[in-house]
Amino acid sequence: MRRTGFLYDERYLLHRTGGGHPESPERLKAIYEGIVSGGLLEKVRLIRAHRPDLTWVETVHPRAYMERLEKACMNDENEFDGPDNQMSRATFQVALLAVGGILETLDLLMSGEIDNAFCAVRPPGHHAEPSYAMGFCFFNNIAIAARYLQKRWGVQRVGIVDIDVHHGNGTQLIFEADRTVFYYSIHEHPTFAFPGTGREFELGRDKGLGYSKNSVVVPGQGDEIYRFLLERDLVPAFEMFRPEAILVSTGFDAHADDDMADLKVTTEGYAWIMRRIKALADQFCAGRLVSVLEGGYCLERLPELGRDHMAVLLED
Amino acid sequence: MFVTKAMTRKVLTVTPDDSLLDARELMKTHKVHHVPVVEKGKKLVGIISDRDIRSAMPSTLYYESGSEREREKLERFRVKDVMTANVITLSLRDTLQDALLLLLKYDFGALPVVDNEGILVGILAVRDLLRALVTLLGIGQPGSLLCLLVEDHLGETKKIVDLIFEEKVPIGSVLAVRHWEPGKRAVFPYLMSMNIGPLKKRFQEQGYKILDPVEWYLGDVGREKQEKK
Repeated sequence: MRRTGFLYDERYLLHRTGGGHPESPERLKAIYEGIVSGGLLEKVRLIRAHRPDLTWVETVHPRAYMERLEKACMNDENEFDGPDNQMSRATFQVALLAVGGILETLDLLMSGEIDNAFCAVRPPGHHAEPSYAMGFCFFNNIAIAARYLQKRWGVQRVGIVDIDVHHGNGTQLIFEADRTVFYYSIHEHPTFAFPGTGREFELGRDKGLGYSKNSVVVPGQGDEIYRFLLERDLVPAFEMFRPEAILVSTGFDAHADDDMADLKVTTEGYAWIMRRIKALADQFCAGRLVSVLEGGYCLERLPELGRDHMAVLLED
Repeated sequence: MFVTKAMTRKVLTVTPDDSLLDARELMKTHKVHHVPVVEKGKKLVGIISDRDIRSAMPSTLYYESGSEREREKLERFRVKDVMTANVITLSLRDTLQDALLLLLKYDFGALPVVDNEGILVGILAVRDLLRALVTLLGIGQPGSLLCLLVEDHLGETKKIVDLIFEEKVPIGSVLAVRHWEPGKRAVFPYLMSMNIGPLKKRFQEQGYKILDPVEWYLGDVGREKQEKK
């Protein structure tokens, strides 16, 4: 059994998106319940979050953006940069705690205290651009995590695998000219799904050309095509790139029962995907892998998805 | 929607007395295929394309590209010997729709834009038109596409837009295509939101047919596979 970290903080529930918004505190509770009822809580190392040093957030987001968000929260505004991004007074603090918790998890990973981890955070991050919130995301958690690994822990090559059903436009944008972070995403066809980016011919630019890769899934497809595309696209990419650490943007919204998109991945399919990525981490970076929650909105499925996800990380 | 919005204003030009060599070098350096020919004061008198230059070569197979013989030939001939004099042009009053129809009608790659005096003010290439269409369709802006099939009646598009407004979802663009199927119109609202689940449900409750991209794909791909057999 591996030493797996589990980042979960009840304060993540304080980010309120109003009634009827799919990105709800209930999602996180459902995932937590699944892990608890699966008997996995005692097998993991529970991590709590602390406020991060703002300079780490600044590696991705300008101070002006952070201040704009903080101000909006203090003014009790309910939305930020568009009606998708609903928020409450606590949102700024909670978003910071999401980042802080992830950075702590990375410290534990790099100092050898844990082998891998799952960070069950809210709000999600991969749509957020440096100066613009989008798709329920405020700070790009995974991008900040990648920069932290590099600057704080001297990791040179970070591989990001984004399995959320929506393309991580924010993450791709942040690293598109960067050859030290490889951005890979598998998602629903951009013509049919938000955010309309992530086409197969988007391969990065300038120095980062060849260090972004997108696998596109047509509506209605599921497990089989994921197996095919991950072997065809992700594996060779990482064989070329040789990441020293792997970060996973984990969205459970490709599930057949998730209304947010049109794909048909099964619960077993998700477990297979995570095992495949974990095998890549074992192959290239001594298993160093941290998974960060992005989307996933089907409250009935989240318990089993969370539980299986954790179980895979714990496997030897 | 006027062509002035999408055209390239910094136009490269040649004069009728320039050599074909100069014209070709200009095209190669700046990666353009059509160069308007102007006289003093940018008055448009013709247009020359790289195809015109190639056709003018007595035998493109005979002379190697870039060889001395080829250069000699190109140097000797003038732009006016080879250019098209009666140019199809766009005026400042023309719109993107006009440009589209013109480009479809004639097999051109670009249309010069002139003012009332025939002075060159810009050029609209197919590429510029594609760029304008990308902007108009909202591709590349983050959003979600909805595909609805309705009766081809007056007011159907309005009802759809009203529903979207009621659910307070911001609209990026709406494409309404008549005769998608006999008696049916297809409406494609592009919505600037990730969260369109509730909106989709409302459409379904109201009896709207949402073109399921799943069925659509399986239908089209299924049909193609049948045809291949």
